[in-house]
Amino acid sequence: MDVGLFAQYVMNGLMLGMMYALVAVGFTLFFGVLDVIKFSHGDVVTVGAFTALAAFAGLHALGFNSPWLDLVVMLAIAMMAMAALGMLIARYLVMPLRSAPALNTLLITLMLGTVLRESVRLFYPQGGNPKPFPALLPRNSIDLGSFNLRLDNLLMLAAGGLVIVGLQFLLNRTKLGLAIRAVAQDEETARTMGINFTAIVLITFAIGSGLAAFAGVMNGLYYNEINFGIGLYLGVIGFSAAIIGGLGSIYGAILGGFLFAGLQTIGTVLLPFASAYKDVFAFAVVIAIMAWRPTGLIQEKISERV
Amino acid sequence: MIRTGKIITAGLMAAVLALAAGDVNAKDKVKVGFIGPLTGGVAVNGIGGRNSADLAVKLRNADSKAKYEYELVVLDDECKPNVAVQVATKMAADKDIIAAATHYCSATAIATVDTYHKFGFPVIVWGAVLPDITYRNKYAEVHRVNGTMINQNDANADLISNLGYKTVAVIHDTTDYGKGHNEYFSKALAKIGKAKIVGTFGVTAEQQDFTAELTQIKALNPDVIYFGGLTPIGVRIRSQMDKLGIKAVFDATSGIVSDAYIQGLGPLAEGTLAFREGASTEKLPGGKFFMEKYNAQKYDNPPEAYGAFAYAAMDMILNTIEKVGPDRKKVIDDLGHVIDRDSIVGKITFDDHGQNTVAMITKYVIQDGKFVEWDESEYASGKRKLPGQK
Amino acid sequence: MAEGAAKGENARAPLWPGLAALAAATVYLVALLAAENQALIISLLAAGIAAVLTAAWLRLLDRASHSFMDHEDALGGFAVLAALSVAVFFHEDHFVLLLVITVLLYTVATLGLNIQFGYAGVLNFAGASFFGIGAYTSAVLNAHTAIPHLVVLAIGGVLAALIGSLLLLPVLRTRGHYAAVVTIAFALLFKTFLEVNDVLGGPQGMQVPGMKIFGWTFNDNIEIGSISLSFYMNYYVVSLLLLVGAFVVVRRLERSWIGLNLDALRLDETAASCFGLDVVRWKITAFLIGNFIIGIAGALFGMVGSFVAPNNYTFADSLILVSILLLGGIGNPWGLIVATVIVVVVPEKLQTIQEYRFLLYALLVIAVLLFRPEGLLPRPIRRYFPGWRP
Repeated sequence: MDVGLFAQYVMNGLMLGMMYALVAVGFTLFFGVLDVIKFSHGDVVTVGAFTALAAFAGLHALGFNSPWLDLVVMLAIAMMAMAALGMLIARYLVMPLRSAPALNTLLITLMLGTVLRESVRLFYPQGGNPKPFPALLPRNSIDLGSFNLRLDNLLMLAAGGLVIVGLQFLLNRTKLGLAIRAVAQDEETARTMGINFTAIVLITFAIGSGLAAFAGVMNGLYYNEINFGIGLYLGVIGFSAAIIGGLGSIYGAILGGFLFAGLQTIGTVLLPFASAYKDVFAFAVVIAIMAWRPTGLIQEKISERV
Repeated sequence: MIRTGKIITAGLMAAVLALAAGDVNAKDKVKVGFIGPLTGGVAVNGIGGRNSADLAVKLRNADSKAKYEYELVVLDDECKPNVAVQVATKMAADKDIIAAATHYCSATAIATVDTYHKFGFPVIVWGAVLPDITYRNKYAEVHRVNGTMINQNDANADLISNLGYKTVAVIHDTTDYGKGHNEYFSKALAKIGKAKIVGTFGVTAEQQDFTAELTQIKALNPDVIYFGGLTPIGVRIRSQMDKLGIKAVFDATSGIVSDAYIQGLGPLAEGTLAFREGASTEKLPGGKFFMEKYNAQKYDNPPEAYGAFAYAAMDMILNTIEKVGPDRKKVIDDLGHVIDRDSIVGKITFDDHGQNTVAMITKYVIQDGKFVEWDESEYASGKRKLPGQK
Repeated sequence: MAEGAAKGENARAPLWPGLAALAAATVYLVALLAAENQALIISLLAAGIAAVLTAAWLRLLDRASHSFMDHEDALGGFAVLAALSVAVFFHEDHFVLLLVITVLLYTVATLGLNIQFGYAGVLNFAGASFFGIGAYTSAVLNAHTAIPHLVVLAIGGVLAALIGSLLLLPVLRTRGHYAAVVTIAFALLFKTFLEVNDVLGGPQGMQVPGMKIFGWTFNDNIEIGSISLSFYMNYYVVSLLLLVGAFVVVRRLERSWIGLNLDALRLDETAASCFGLDVVRWKITAFLIGNFIIGIAGALFGMVGSFVAPNNYTFADSLILVSILLLGGIGNPWGLIVATVIVVVVPEKLQTIQEYRFLLYALLVIAVLLFRPEGLLPRPIRRYFPGWRP
């Protein structure tokens, strides 16, 4: 295989990995802070993408046509709307169930994901059909041999990277981040130290859901299309990625995201039927990893109360 | 006083007579069915077909000479084989429904033939093009008014070879529909012998990401990419082709002959080739009549490519029920002897497998956001050129 | 004196409250299944909910449940009679019989899931996949071999258990969320594997030849004198027998020392292993037995529907099975029957809300989880001594 083709595969893998990583980071944040797996996260990505599309339609109706302005406004609206949605979900569905068995929260968020998905399908005009997403990034590209380097892919990768770095900065260098990490580590002690537990949880959910909206817009820009099913797929992969990287660790989630994308790409290259078996291959490896390292690659340090 | 009484009695008698007369005019209700993809990626075709069948029923009910009053029962097969079998079972198991016009998606039509046979339920297919639907078994219950994909692919291979292209990469979906296209196109191309197929890729009907296949195709550098599948993934493949910088001709089948394809791609749709059996709706013998009546009903959606065939199928069912009565066995018998019956799509004859022969194939190229017939297009005359066209 | 007092305390509840509840439920079910008019169905549903709430308020439900606890075997026999009477009532109606058969077989599958989850606490989000393994087994074996069909059912179960044993290592080593992801990954993997695999029919699925036992072909309608029975009656009888068998097995299992071990395991794994229970062995047993039962149900369902396709066995379908378990009350087999009826019959009947059914159904489960997490019929406390009542 020539270098250009190899580079193309690497680029494909990087793009997918970035999207999976963004979703996986959300899962890990929620788990760290509340010990809960919020399965509806994937579908929040879908709702975010559709909100952005609706914002775009609205902007066009109002006559604004500049791609950059459109993009910024769409992102802003989608991220803020999803942050609000995330807070609502936290406040009314997840927090009341903290004392219930973990399975109940798992199921309630799974069902919530179904509600979000079906709502988009039923209530967004013609939501059942795939919808074209506007191509707002510059479409220039350079041909380096058989590798087609596109400006919009590079921009998206850069943006995704910035977001992740920004998140790390937020978590490690700011007071808010300190509070989030404290709550994730030990809820009771954090409360006795004067941290407003509810506020921190809500803010974490807001951040995670905002990330989901960003991932949704990125997905729309990359494929130039969104449909109501993208969330389910991304959600499960993001969850698997967060798991293999080890829940509770941001680095683990990012690692897991890129690892999963890498597995899919390797599966595509090595197996004879192109991408037909890539998901089978990737999920089989996930199961194998879980058998080998039951709490993920970056081991979770848990102590169990007996 | 007596006069008032007489007037009242006369009035009452008139009322009773009127009611009785009305009762005499009340017709027996007969249920007929329609199955198509009303949700999902190809919903516009299903809805167009449903509206067309509905039009046939409405026109018949408005006709005072009709013997029965018809009610259309509509079910959605979602273009998924398993859902199709469920709704087919439901419709066929209901003894009140006499016959139905069924299926746009070949994947669903081929899955349900056994179900219709099991329940002895007569159906006429209106949109699915896979030959196996009528030819795999000799079921008396299954008929079809539209053509099969064999002729479509013959014309396709012909055009590609004559335009001087030498290498073709094939992408097809893994349902029987896509596999059928792959099979017939490959055979047709091999028979002509001028071009060869450099790679074949099967993709799932709901696949999102084609970068893997397209990257491999890019390495093969074909002149043409042939696509055997439906609109939703057609849109995705074409758009991702552009993202990877692949400059081949996009050559597709009747599966993308739909406005949704053009709406999904915008300017990228330019220069896509497509083929379908039968003439465009306006050029059909009854085309103008159909379009007039269709537009008068003010439906939300256009009839799309196969709406006229759905109308023809439903009309034939209604004619048969008028002739032999609402009895499934008699309808099956009568549909076994269809020779040169008139319809808006021309004269219909069912062969021994229930298949109508539609000889004409229309070749399309998308020009300026519309499906234009190839011979009338600027690509044929040389004013515009497809990628690599000489 | 003491004896008299003891007798008073341990007096068995009368049979009639349970019998009355059973009869009322059967009549209600028949009415619901027979009703066609949407308004009638909605009012029936409202009336049913009102009746149940009133009965709960009047403490009638308590008496019925005590009656069930004390006379379970007798009431079980009456329940079988009730099921047969439902069949007799609908002996000609294909679709209603099919619906009830679906309820019966889904209940069997959830009974298997109940052993894994309700008794042993082993998470299994791939229930529909094991159901599918059974279905595909009957598809392949019926079409290509001459193995007697009853044996095929058993093979379906064995195969499901075998393939489930591939997952044993990850399932045993993981806890909580991590365990969930193992079975979820398997569920997705299974569906994709079926879709891309041409040998097993790919996305088009496969037809399943009908069941034939001792020369009696199940797929032909039965005619007894002047009464014609729907061919689904054959399958109904077999499904009912399967359900009774599975129900009895599960109940006996629960009350036996095996069930005791599984309960101990679920409630506190560390304490159970402190007491010398072999955690690994019991988890394996529960997982395999559960999958075996699910596989048999799947094999029979494949033959009933005569069609299998990957889209029938997705992660969403596994979620439906888990939700039935939750809705009915984890660990209570009677609750499963009620929950399955609600989940399968109500969406079919309420045609007007067909499109919205997943949405409403998810909202219902959320409501149950928020306000009554034990489910509709929570599992009563384990009875350690026969005749003892809490």
